[in-house]
Amino acid sequence: MSVKQFKPLPAQPAPIMTAGPIAWVRDNLFSSTFNIIATILIIGSLVAVLPGMIDWLFISANWSGTSQSDCVKDGACWVFISAWSQQIFYGSYPTDELWRVNLCLFLLAGVIALSFILPDRLRNKVAVPAFLLLPFIGLLFLDGSMIGLPQVTTNLWGGFSLNVLLAAASIIIAFPFGFLWALGRRSDMPFARSVSVTCIEFFRGTPILALFFMGSVMLPLFFPADVNVDKLLRVWIILVLFMSAYMAEVFRSGFQAIPSGQYEAADSIGLGYWQKTLLIIFPQVIKVSMPNILATFVMVFKNTVFLLVIAVPEMLQVIMSALSNSNWLGGHAIEGYLFVAFIFWACCFSMSLLATSIEKKLDTSHNK
Amino acid sequence: MFSKKTAEQIKFETRPNRVGAKAFYNNPKYRGWIYQSVLFVFLIGFFYSIVSNTLDNMSAQGIKSGFSFLNTSAGFDVLMSLIPFDTTDSYLQIFIIGILNTILVSVIGIIFSTILGFIFGIAYFSRNWLINKIAVIYVEIFRNIPVILQVIFWYTVFNALPIARESLNLGDAVFLNVTGLYFPKLVGESGSGVVYGAIVVAILAIFAIKRWAKKRQELTGEQFPILWTSLGIFFGLPLLALLITGLPFHLDYPALKGFNFKGGISVIPELISLAIALSVYTGAFIAEAVRAGIQSVPQGQTEAARSIGLKESKIMSLIIVPQSMRVITPMLNSEYQSLVKNTTIATAIGYPELFTVFAGSALNQVGQAVEIMFMTLAIYFVINMVISLVMNHFNKRTELSAR
Repeated sequence: MSVKQFKPLPAQPAPIMTAGPIAWVRDNLFSSTFNIIATILIIGSLVAVLPGMIDWLFISANWSGTSQSDCVKDGACWVFISAWSQQIFYGSYPTDELWRVNLCLFLLAGVIALSFILPDRLRNKVAVPAFLLLPFIGLLFLDGSMIGLPQVTTNLWGGFSLNVLLAAASIIIAFPFGFLWALGRRSDMPFARSVSVTCIEFFRGTPILALFFMGSVMLPLFFPADVNVDKLLRVWIILVLFMSAYMAEVFRSGFQAIPSGQYEAADSIGLGYWQKTLLIIFPQVIKVSMPNILATFVMVFKNTVFLLVIAVPEMLQVIMSALSNSNWLGGHAIEGYLFVAFIFWACCFSMSLLATSIEKKLDTSHNK
Repeated sequence: MFSKKTAEQIKFETRPNRVGAKAFYNNPKYRGWIYQSVLFVFLIGFFYSIVSNTLDNMSAQGIKSGFSFLNTSAGFDVLMSLIPFDTTDSYLQIFIIGILNTILVSVIGIIFSTILGFIFGIAYFSRNWLINKIAVIYVEIFRNIPVILQVIFWYTVFNALPIARESLNLGDAVFLNVTGLYFPKLVGESGSGVVYGAIVVAILAIFAIKRWAKKRQELTGEQFPILWTSLGIFFGLPLLALLITGLPFHLDYPALKGFNFKGGISVIPELISLAIALSVYTGAFIAEAVRAGIQSVPQGQTEAARSIGLKESKIMSLIIVPQSMRVITPMLNSEYQSLVKNTTIATAIGYPELFTVFAGSALNQVGQAVEIMFMTLAIYFVINMVISLVMNHFNKRTELSAR
């Protein structure tokens, strides 16, 4: 009976190279047969497509000029965008009054910046009231009739600034509503709870387009015959209700993230319901919900484009009407849509980067 | 071990004596009733004013109420319908056509977005740097552009295709032009029933083999090559039936007659644009969900699988993906539901789904906004509920059982 002899394999030679560009290429591009084929296919198709695209987008594109006759080269006609830039950004808002739109955008940016810069002690006390006042200050300035400026009716508002301001105004007002609905959903009172659940599920389960449609065809029926509610205001109401439902769910998950010890601690020092909720729980909920709030804002911001279906002159609607302008009938649709796509992409992408960085900052877990 | 309510009550009873601290409105039990009664009265008032205003406005505008309009003839044509239709048919038929078209585009969208989502979600973990970057770029581009813009974009691209006479031609069988996509239709002749029967038998056989193989693996630990056997049965059995019955099928090729193609199956450009936009947009979100799901599986699982010598491809399909489904399935549920809701963007390009034909065209003609919106929304709720039920059933099977 022979005993099997243990024979070690001969030592492997050292790897040829584990650092440097060549090793990187070998590891990341050509590590297996599948990867070699994939890399070659991808590089091949990039070589086939990219030069033509770059040429069309930039090199042979028409950059300067004021009218369609300036688009002489083969590439994209960016003259179309620059000629319509004011409408794309401001809609038909009168040129002399554009400072008001800019002021509103500036105030919005200012308050957002403020809420990041302020020291913790002041943040909630200053930023929350400032945010809540913002939509109404914006309304006063944009309309103007109530503070002695020439009135600009809402049918002249439009363009990209409308997308931004409408989304911002909706999320700000949806904040307290969403918070109340979330509290209602967690409440012990059965009737209040079922009302909240119904509201939340209705607005979350309905297509946003159907809601806008209801805003334009059904809401007028709900008001007394002599009350004529402005179309943009109706849209705003719809957006606020829609947002509130999503925010309520965001807050609900925020509430669930707060350890029950926080509630018990607040109870133990004898705080009442509202003191407990507003002083102890709310700040913590806001903190953990921040990335999701931003994600909800991105969603609503993208959804403002849906307004074109009920003929609100938001950015894409302006582009589409510019395309049918008799001076520009030359098929610049692709340029127009690419431009809108780029603007939305840039805004949404930077916001999602912000959300990720907040999430990383807040993530204190150690399981990495 | 106090329930919330008793804790509140204890607090109430032990609170230091303030003025009115023992008043009935400070008792949590009564306070709850007071809040809820106020809410109730407010809601009653709110709905009363809405209903009375609506009735007043409708009678002032001469709009009838009730559902009798459903039986009257619609008098307009629909671009595409899965059931026979002509302009004398009723609004009820329009409603059904709309539902069918919505379901059609939803099913197409769900299938393709899932495929795209899983491909790019898994591609994110590829060791190939280029594949990884392509997955990242796909997700970041398509989820950050409004879906309505995407559908209009694809529709514009479609409209730039050549006319029927100069169609893009694939082997004289598949044609693509500005009026749509055309491909051959399989037409069964006598004896084709046997082949369909063979397909059913094959599917049943696969299920039986799967159960038997699972049982055998549990008893003996031996694996059975289920995938290859299933593929063999699925294609082999019908093929056998085909040969025995003497190929009782022929292809109906689309052919250019006059200005357009006749015969075969034709797909309208609106459907294609909508399906592409929805699949690509939702696919980006599903890819994110798949990525999050795979990342949620602890690293130790991969290491354990490597240590017992599993191949990399087997690790993904046997260890990582099944566990990540716990995270992915609930997210898929909400993505599918938002896809169904997003089919309403069809109204921007005119694909005749429920929202376009019923809440759009029919509402324009009848004017009964309340009834029509009610019916339309009810359908979206039902579809989403069905999706939710199916996905929850699926979720039950994949979720971690607590010990």
